[in-house]
Amino acid sequence: MSFTESIKKEFSTRTLVLIPVAIAINIVVGQLLIILKLPIYLDSIGTVLVGALAGPWAGALTGALTNIIWGLTLYPQAMPFFYVAAVIGAMAGIAAKLGVFERISPRWLSALIGGFFFFGLTLFILSVTTYSREGLIPNATDLIRQYGVVFIIIAIIGLAIGYFVLQKAGYAGLAGLITGVVAAIISAPTAAVVYGGVTGAGTDLVVAAFRASGTGILASTFAQGAVSDPFDKMVSFLIVWLILQALPARFKSR
Amino acid sequence: MVVIDVHELTYTYPTTNVAALNDVSLQVTEGEFLAIIGNNGAGKSTLCYALSGFVPHFFKGTMRGRVQVAGMDTQNVTLNDLVLKVGLAFQNPFNQISGAKYTVFEEVAFGLENTGVPREQMVERVERALRLTGIDELAERSPYSLSGGQQQRVALASILVMEPQVLVLDEPTSQLDPVGSREVFQVIKEMSDSGMTVILVEHKVEWIAEFADRVVALHDGRIIAQGTPAEVLTSATLAEHGFGLSRYTTTAREALKRGLWLVERRLPTTLQEAADGFSRGKA
Amino acid sequence: MTASISLYIAGDSGLHRLHPLTKLTLTLTILLGGFAIPYTWASYAIFLGIVLPIAIWGGIWKQMLRSVWKIVLPFAISIFLIQSLFWGEGTALFAFGPLSIEKEGVIFAMGSVGRIIVVISSFLLLTLATRPDSLMNALTKIGVPAGITYIVVTTIQIVPRFQAKAASIIDAQRSRGLITEGNLLKRTRALVPLVMPLVLSSLVDVEERAIAIEARAFNSPGSKTSLNVIPDTSTQRIARWIMFLLIVLIIGYRIWWSLTFTN
Repeated sequence: MSFTESIKKEFSTRTLVLIPVAIAINIVVGQLLIILKLPIYLDSIGTVLVGALAGPWAGALTGALTNIIWGLTLYPQAMPFFYVAAVIGAMAGIAAKLGVFERISPRWLSALIGGFFFFGLTLFILSVTTYSREGLIPNATDLIRQYGVVFIIIAIIGLAIGYFVLQKAGYAGLAGLITGVVAAIISAPTAAVVYGGVTGAGTDLVVAAFRASGTGILASTFAQGAVSDPFDKMVSFLIVWLILQALPARFKSR
Repeated sequence: MVVIDVHELTYTYPTTNVAALNDVSLQVTEGEFLAIIGNNGAGKSTLCYALSGFVPHFFKGTMRGRVQVAGMDTQNVTLNDLVLKVGLAFQNPFNQISGAKYTVFEEVAFGLENTGVPREQMVERVERALRLTGIDELAERSPYSLSGGQQQRVALASILVMEPQVLVLDEPTSQLDPVGSREVFQVIKEMSDSGMTVILVEHKVEWIAEFADRVVALHDGRIIAQGTPAEVLTSATLAEHGFGLSRYTTTAREALKRGLWLVERRLPTTLQEAADGFSRGKA
Repeated sequence: MTASISLYIAGDSGLHRLHPLTKLTLTLTILLGGFAIPYTWASYAIFLGIVLPIAIWGGIWKQMLRSVWKIVLPFAISIFLIQSLFWGEGTALFAFGPLSIEKEGVIFAMGSVGRIIVVISSFLLLTLATRPDSLMNALTKIGVPAGITYIVVTTIQIVPRFQAKAASIIDAQRSRGLITEGNLLKRTRALVPLVMPLVLSSLVDVEERAIAIEARAFNSPGSKTSLNVIPDTSTQRIARWIMFLLIVLIIGYRIWWSLTFTN
């Protein structure tokens, strides 16, 4: 099958009808989260769902159109990030091809995944912000010694998240966490350039804290994203995992 | 002239092993009003899909036997060829609204836009379809603002505008209130009276008794009875399977057991027959 | 329940009657102009001198100002506070104790706010005065796949239905004891019983809706026709090409400028 044919195959009539439904879910749940004032967005559930059910290209289109349509109607701030949503959809599709939404992981493994991931994430964020402040890439062991308590607390939180939140969806959760980090990296430049790193929401306090310690705008913006995005995408992937476990077989044959 | 010819049709959906339709054969002549009855899971919807080509083209699966509709073998043509000849409407009125159009007029024109009908013809055909379904005053309304019965008539108009040869209707009134049901059935009856071939899956046996030319009863994917309403709706086979009997029939059967209905008299399926039978026959 | 989530306000102004592609090109030109010109005051000049007069011509200036105010205000407050107080090294305008308001921060914040105003208002010019399906049909005519048109217009119409569905699920779950107020953990726990029914019930309908549009020959090969005709003039066509050229020039200028003056 040629390249264009394999793209077209993802867009059956069922997929075409699914996409507006998925975008509507993204927008409605995203709006709901804004009202609930929680520090996560959850505006990608539909995107991840389409990626999982129809493939990466369909997922990417769903993500991009979500931000564009949402941006042109209820929530203009979303518009510049259409490419981030596209990447999320594509990564969900790739994760689905790797079987992530069908595999069940034992809870201890999910706990380990959570613990290791958040430990590594903290290391990554602190490296970036320290580099921004001091201009040198810091040594990992120095950082761990310097911020020791923070690392321990976050690792424990990570273990708890893996065990109690992810439970048997460890692989899906990991895929979500990785997607979240990628999303944070690629959205930071736009957030910094277009919005100066600020959204008018509560998460700006995180940005303020980093800025106060002398970190640059781009690094602060990235830090804020890296704190919210992985958890947000992890929950989205988890919800889609739950959905796919609950769907009868005939819905999954595309 | 035979417009539908189903020959030994056996069909199984892709994710199961149990056949949804088993060795089904039937013929429909042009202009006939054929009713299909059966319990849930009997294969009525599958048969509707087979007559309109969605089985096998949309659902894939394994199909054996042959379905010929309007001169085409459904397995040898594409779904696009078939939708122009066979119009399909089903239960949920809301799901039949495309969502891509803002007014009823545009919604009805959707099928004509997709098939490349020139603009001048479109307006005339849409107006005719709206008149046939009695929804002219709704032309400028949003399809989403309508009642279930109105939406179902929009769905019918959207199909009639494409001038099909056969109408296949899968329980079009099941989700409607009595008013909506009556409005929709009125349209169906008028289409049938004007010569359209109509296949109707229905539970409201009283209607079928009154208006259908022939009835086909399905059970577990097989045809268990076929014939005129009077024949099928009073048959013992149906009673065994526990469906298809109208109130009039069941009342008369009880009466028969108690000697209040003449044995030689055929069981009634309509109000009129029941009234006649009860007023004349005294055992 | 609203008919759709689009911001379109019906009207008969000159702006309304412009071809959708003209309006789209206009929006993009203004947008890029606001970003490309490197002076802080440029965005405000564009807003007051170009966008607002066009909005007045279109009779949509009231809604525009209302929307811009609603969206930009929280953002402006945040960015002024954060960027002027925490700018780092710079020239202090005022100082009180450990905090000081840095001039560079204020200028930066003003630049950001100006750009946001231009972005939001230029898109509002498009969305307030253009029916979504006209825009999508115009895009289809220049090559955007018909599936995209279907997706965009359908989404806009079904979101209010989904909002209603979500509201009734929330009510139903609340009457079964679901707690949606309270602390962070409580609110997070409320999410799954709200989201799962919404998604699962929507998926069931997808197959039937796919059958319904197939029954309307949606996948029919061959060219499609259109019921509604969108009037266009050669003047507008020429204007669109000129604006397109302008866009290319602006982008080129900006690339040249950043290559020459940075690094």
